[in-house]
Amino acid sequence: MSGASTSASHGAGRSRWINLASFAALLAVWFLITAPLVDGKPLVAPLFLPSPGAVWQTVLQLMANGYQGKTLGHHIAISLFRFGVAFALTVLIAVPLGLWMGMNETVKAVLDPPIEITRPMPKLALLPLLIIWFGIGEVSKIVIIILALFPILSISAMQAVRGVGRRKVQAALALGASRSMVFRRVIFPASLPGIFTSIRVSIGIGVTMLVGAEMIATNAGIAYMAMSASDFLLTSVVIVGSLIMAILGYALDLLARALENKVVHWGGKEG
Amino acid sequence: MQMSSHAALPADAATGVPKVRFDRITKCFGKGAEAVQALEPVTLDIAEGAFTCLLGPSGCGKSTLLNILAGFERPTAGEVFMDGQPVQGPDPRRGVVFQQGALFTWMNVRDNVAFGPLATGKSQAEAGRIADRFLEMVGLAGFARRYPYELSGGMQQRVGIARALANDPEILLMDEPFAALDAQTRELLQEEIKRIWHETRKTVLWITHSIDEALFLATDIAVMSARPGRIKATFRPEFARSSDPSVVTSPEFARMKAQIFGLLREEALAAQRQEAA
Repeated sequence: MSGASTSASHGAGRSRWINLASFAALLAVWFLITAPLVDGKPLVAPLFLPSPGAVWQTVLQLMANGYQGKTLGHHIAISLFRFGVAFALTVLIAVPLGLWMGMNETVKAVLDPPIEITRPMPKLALLPLLIIWFGIGEVSKIVIIILALFPILSISAMQAVRGVGRRKVQAALALGASRSMVFRRVIFPASLPGIFTSIRVSIGIGVTMLVGAEMIATNAGIAYMAMSASDFLLTSVVIVGSLIMAILGYALDLLARALENKVVHWGGKEG
Repeated sequence: MQMSSHAALPADAATGVPKVRFDRITKCFGKGAEAVQALEPVTLDIAEGAFTCLLGPSGCGKSTLLNILAGFERPTAGEVFMDGQPVQGPDPRRGVVFQQGALFTWMNVRDNVAFGPLATGKSQAEAGRIADRFLEMVGLAGFARRYPYELSGGMQQRVGIARALANDPEILLMDEPFAALDAQTRELLQEEIKRIWHETRKTVLWITHSIDEALFLATDIAVMSARPGRIKATFRPEFARSSDPSVVTSPEFARMKAQIFGLLREEALAAQRQEAA
């Protein structure tokens, strides 16, 4: 056992080093192609790809002066607000509805058609319509994210319920549990691993929708900042905006993963 | 020790009403041309305090019989009675132990065992005390705070047994509880279940593939035919009364084993032909 586990952890440590080396190599390539090495000119013009140093300068400058009269914190906060409100609302509505669909055939029969019909539709295509309905304020942006996440979260909550082992439910019934106790203490917890998986998937999709929504008709937000900087060919601001979005998505995923490990510690493990 | 060709086992001598009576149970799965008859009319009595083993080839409907008594499934025809009352659905008076995968993975061992007492209206504190008592009985007192996935297969089955016992059921239904375990663990648990049966005097319905297991544990053995299942023969071995594990080496044990082996072999071959057809 010790042999197997040490070689496994050894393997994990080795992968970690390779990860770091790969990352460092990418950074080095970026340095090289943007550094003025030949005739004082870089291989790639700063207009297309500014050097890492220039991007870092832009970060400091944005932190000091903000962008278009709003602080960087304001842009980040407004993006997080849109995402957070939409995400929380969707989880609070879609997950219980999905659980209900999993428990009740009639509810499933009623809700299945609208969800299944709209599921394959690219939701961003609805943004023009939503802007007519809700204006260019926050509502249309929040609604578009909700529309994108709703089918994912509701359908996977339903499938999680349907995937609960029949024996676990039978065991609970044979132990005298009422229907509500079976739901609260068996079906709901047994569904949580599936629900968490879909939550993590929908973080990625939600951030994508946020970017799409912020590129149209708005005057604040990180994706707005990148989009409008592109109009002025401020390439390093565009890159900073993209990096912030990437870090945001990654941080949210880390958060969800930490929560998942804490809440569903048993994961896919059987017993 | 005798072999009888009729199906019913003797009723409880005191009251005349058996603890459990399967009364002409049949079961069909599916409808129309696709329908499969799993059980032919099965009639079987289980006496109070008996340890009854159902032995039979795969697919003969042994688990279906257990599920019907547990109240998980309805028979297509016939009725099963407990204390003269028809079974309507799951009931905490009938504890069920499954082969595997039935523990509540998200609860620790103690909460798993306390689930039944809580479900049947005991207070949190009382349910916890009951859980501790039965964990002690199955030798898992030190594992109360562990989660099922941290335990070996044998320990998980002990948790399942403790959980079923914690409700103080009148009958224990056990569906091949040791089938997924290795041979050594299985033998130890067989001895342990025999001790628990001696201690608690519960009525037990036990499903198994293993002739040795049935002979070692059972006061009554019902051998089932290949699908559609019916009771082919019943035996009343005496080995279960003994707490000496070496009864399995006695000549009588070997003789009865040979007899049952012959019966089961015919049925296993019949089952194989069905599958090939």
